[in-house]
Amino acid sequence: MIKTPPFLSPGDTIGLVCPAGSMPVEKVSECIRVLNEDWGYTTKAGDTIGKQFNYFSGTDEDRLADFQKMLDDDEVKAILCARGGYGLTRIIDKIDFTKFKKNPKWIIGFSDITILHAHIYRNLYISTLHAPMANAFNKGEYKNEFVQSLRNALEGKKLKYQCAPHEFNKKGEGIGELVGGNLSLLVHLTGTDSDMKTKGRILFLEDVGEYLYNIDRMMRQLQRSGKLDKLAGLIIGGFTDCKDTENPFAQTAYEIIRDVIKEYDYPVCFGFPVSHEKENYALKTGVGYKLKVSKSKVILEE
Amino acid sequence: MNRKHFITSASVLLTSAALPLKTEGNEIETASVFPAYLKKGDTIGITAPAGYITLEEIQPAIKLMETWGFKIKVGDTIGKKDFTFGGSDEERLNDFQHLLDDRFTKAIMCARGGYGAVRIIDKLNWAKFRTKPKWIIGFSDITVFHSHLHKNFRIASIHAKMCNSFPVDWNLAEPIQVETIESIQKALSGEKMEYSTTSNENNKPGIAAGVLVGGNLKTLESLAGSPSDINTTGKILFVEDTGEYLYSIDRMFWNLKRSGKLSKLKGLIVGGFKIKTEADTEDFGKTLEQIVLEKVINYKYPVCFDFPVGHQKNNFALKCGVKHKLIVNQNECILKEIR
Repeated sequence: MIKTPPFLSPGDTIGLVCPAGSMPVEKVSECIRVLNEDWGYTTKAGDTIGKQFNYFSGTDEDRLADFQKMLDDDEVKAILCARGGYGLTRIIDKIDFTKFKKNPKWIIGFSDITILHAHIYRNLYISTLHAPMANAFNKGEYKNEFVQSLRNALEGKKLKYQCAPHEFNKKGEGIGELVGGNLSLLVHLTGTDSDMKTKGRILFLEDVGEYLYNIDRMMRQLQRSGKLDKLAGLIIGGFTDCKDTENPFAQTAYEIIRDVIKEYDYPVCFGFPVSHEKENYALKTGVGYKLKVSKSKVILEE
Repeated sequence: MNRKHFITSASVLLTSAALPLKTEGNEIETASVFPAYLKKGDTIGITAPAGYITLEEIQPAIKLMETWGFKIKVGDTIGKKDFTFGGSDEERLNDFQHLLDDRFTKAIMCARGGYGAVRIIDKLNWAKFRTKPKWIIGFSDITVFHSHLHKNFRIASIHAKMCNSFPVDWNLAEPIQVETIESIQKALSGEKMEYSTTSNENNKPGIAAGVLVGGNLKTLESLAGSPSDINTTGKILFVEDTGEYLYSIDRMFWNLKRSGKLSKLKGLIVGGFKIKTEADTEDFGKTLEQIVLEKVINYKYPVCFDFPVGHQKNNFALKCGVKHKLIVNQNECILKEIR
């Protein structure tokens, strides 16, 4: 069974870093305040918070050093990536996971952070948290059930989610380890040392701002690289802000996905709250889940 | 010799041409199979396996290729439109299959790229084509075919401009248009190809020989892990792309590097890259050249930039799957076919 990092107790320290894109301090401060005052944790802001170097929160060396420091710091019990963007693929092969492997801690984030989830699952078989990041705490949104689900996950509560049915859903029940994340990044990892295995697992996918034809191409890449045919279940999250070409593709993202997977008989649900929008439940990568898709509802539980 | 015996010995010859020469890991390296070169009077079929195009738009290509002495067969997908595609998947598949199997068609020119080849590639039946290969011509989305043919059959193909790049009035064509489009005729007719380009200060000098493979970078990345995924060991790899952000180009080169596609090359050719920019985002902080060079810093093979291949007028016909010599020195970069 997959190794699960220890859950957090009041007073435990959460480290915050920006391993990819940069984020101004004022956008992270509400998250830090909530973690300290509402959730009862202590926080440690890494050097990359509030810093900027061109497209990134720092040079590759800065970002690597900051992440490595949090990884090796015994006091830090969880690392919350403040935001995604682009940049993890540039440092992933240089991160030293030796200490982390002995003393795992929760690594939290989504989007570009998919690289950490995939890499750690593939190489270390330690669970991580695909969950909202710092920006989700802003404008009072920290009270919503999605940000709260991160708190529940960190406290060790068993996660159980329910969502509404969708006309494209395929009924059934599947049990397996949960893997997935951002579709663009998952296909980008194909053939690399961070490539995720999906056979017998429940796969979840989400993406933002992609061209529809490219969603088609990415889904076909998953299919042609054998990542769709032996799933225990498939969870389709938000595919938001999709772009189209001058000649319209004439299908929505969900229609594209429905057509690619029509030959498989495992359970599939569409519109699950995992996305770049507010609707984004905390999900534990690698942990065993049960996906139940019925006519009236969808349930995903540990 | 009776006919039956002749066929048997011919098939023995064919088989021996495809016998493994050396084995590296699980990958069996076989010699390339060359389709027959074209003679005057031979037929070129035109089809749209991806995006749609009108019959009118391919007229300049038809007229010019007829002046080269070829007959043109217009496929059913020309003029068909299924939203962004040149017909439904089934229509594009059937048209391509028909030209693959038609014994009078000696080469297939894809009318244009776009998106769609990957939707039909696994449904094509290559049996007839494998016994009697023909040149498949195109680039961009057609990289799917080049990569698939090389990976699965070691059959050579032509990475070149397509019908939508032929100027409407040939008499008004710019010299570079004339030269690049005539390079298709040269490639089809069996001329030994040779290209030279001025040196980019970022080039890494050196001399290399190897089979030429490559194409559109985004398309190559999208084939990773699939049955069409290209093997680059011992090859000269060329890449080009258009409309991608620098961060995305960086990410794609990381995919090549992290999936082991850069470590065992003989040489790397970087063609045209049209970079997409956005006004309100930060500078990426690295140029295309820096992005590439940092990935290959530990490798000794030659690297050249600004090679005349890409989504641009300066886009010469290249024979994929064919052995070439790459010479990169301080003054110029030369690529030539070797036999």
